Amino acid sequence: MKQSRFLILYGLVLVLFTLYVALDTFVITRVYTVSDATPQAATSAVLPTTAPAIVTATSYSDANITITLTEYREHDTTIYVADVTLTSPELLKTALAEDSFGRNISQKTSEMAEANGAILAINGDYYGSRERGYVVRNGALYRSSASSDTEALAIMADGSFRVVQEGVVAAEALVEDGAMHVFSFGPALLVDGEIAVTTRDEVGKAMEDNPRTAIGVYEPGHYVLLVADGRTRQSDGLTLYDLAEFMQGLGVTTAYNLDGGGSSSMVFMGEIINNPTTNGRKITERSVSDIVYIGY
Amino acid sequence: MTLSTSATDRSALPTAFIGLAATLFCAVFGGVYEIFSHGVWSGFMVYAFLFPLVLEAIPFCWLALRGKALPHPWALNLHHAGTATLTVGSIFEGVLAIYGTTNSLTLVYWIAGAALLAGGLVALLLTRKSA
Repeated sequence: MKQSRFLILYGLVLVLFTLYVALDTFVITRVYTVSDATPQAATSAVLPTTAPAIVTATSYSDANITITLTEYREHDTTIYVADVTLTSPELLKTALAEDSFGRNISQKTSEMAEANGAILAINGDYYGSRERGYVVRNGALYRSSASSDTEALAIMADGSFRVVQEGVVAAEALVEDGAMHVFSFGPALLVDGEIAVTTRDEVGKAMEDNPRTAIGVYEPGHYVLLVADGRTRQSDGLTLYDLAEFMQGLGVTTAYNLDGGGSSSMVFMGEIINNPTTNGRKITERSVSDIVYIGY
Repeated sequence: MTLSTSATDRSALPTAFIGLAATLFCAVFGGVYEIFSHGVWSGFMVYAFLFPLVLEAIPFCWLALRGKALPHPWALNLHHAGTATLTVGSIFEGVLAIYGTTNSLTLVYWIAGAALLAGGLVALLLTRKSA
């Protein structure tokens, strides 16, 4: 009897511990220690022009920013491509949910876009769902612990993209070299115009079509922000190789995969452009840790 | 303390059946979870069934077939607790991996599970000596 009591008691401890770890992972909000690095001004030195912007349902244009949205249909999937030309790389920005760096701090892409006055926004790398992986935003280093086997994307102050292997190049070194934003998700889709993934490369071993979010650069100042639908009857989604091939077809030189699946979302002038879904049945935005956006 | 070696001792049989049931449950649970995971694959989820299979079903089936008696209850308890810890830890690690997240606290499952199994082994050896 004593022995069975031990097992019952231990089982209870195991259940309670598992419950705590689940809460710690998904619910309990935790603000991490913020780096001493001084953030660059979140607001750009480039000011909006006094002349009004020309805005249509699929485009935005002013003296500093030109955005053209195009919808493609490839691999039974709708792909939303925003071609972005900027007079200054400072206009390519990032924002954190609730303006805070931590775990289980999240907001919808559309909410963060509105809060930051974004013209165009896509979800970022959802850094908050992981304990490791470089996080640099607006020149501030928030997390320098390397995530093994992860390629990071650094957006440099001159607007160029640099793909590095975490652990091989330190986050501190990237910031010293002028990285404004560093994302830890990946993998890199294109490097120097060449496809950098194989048909067997998948995020989290997801060997399937899925919704995707990606960012690419033609040349500093000329970017592509992309979101692909998936998991629905209308859209299957893309494999990473499909995505890389598509980016290559656009003529992009460096492209990087951001958080996809239910996180994939694109907002243009306050409107959600794609069909974000986690389970394929309900079209709804998921809250995420961060966004990449174009704005002043 | 009884450590019977009677060829007719089948006291390990119920434990073997529980181990088999746990193996089946984990295999089905992992399979169903994978079906709804949009192709995101986790070895922790898929192979979680190996813990009850290798640590419970097979050894206790062997004990029952050989007609050997169950070890001392404390050795058994530590062994069962270790198996449960590793199994739950593997499934939970799989859930986190499929969601795309991590938590360093899951390391506790592996350390505690291994320690409990080692404790069970030590208890088995000590009780055998004293029997």
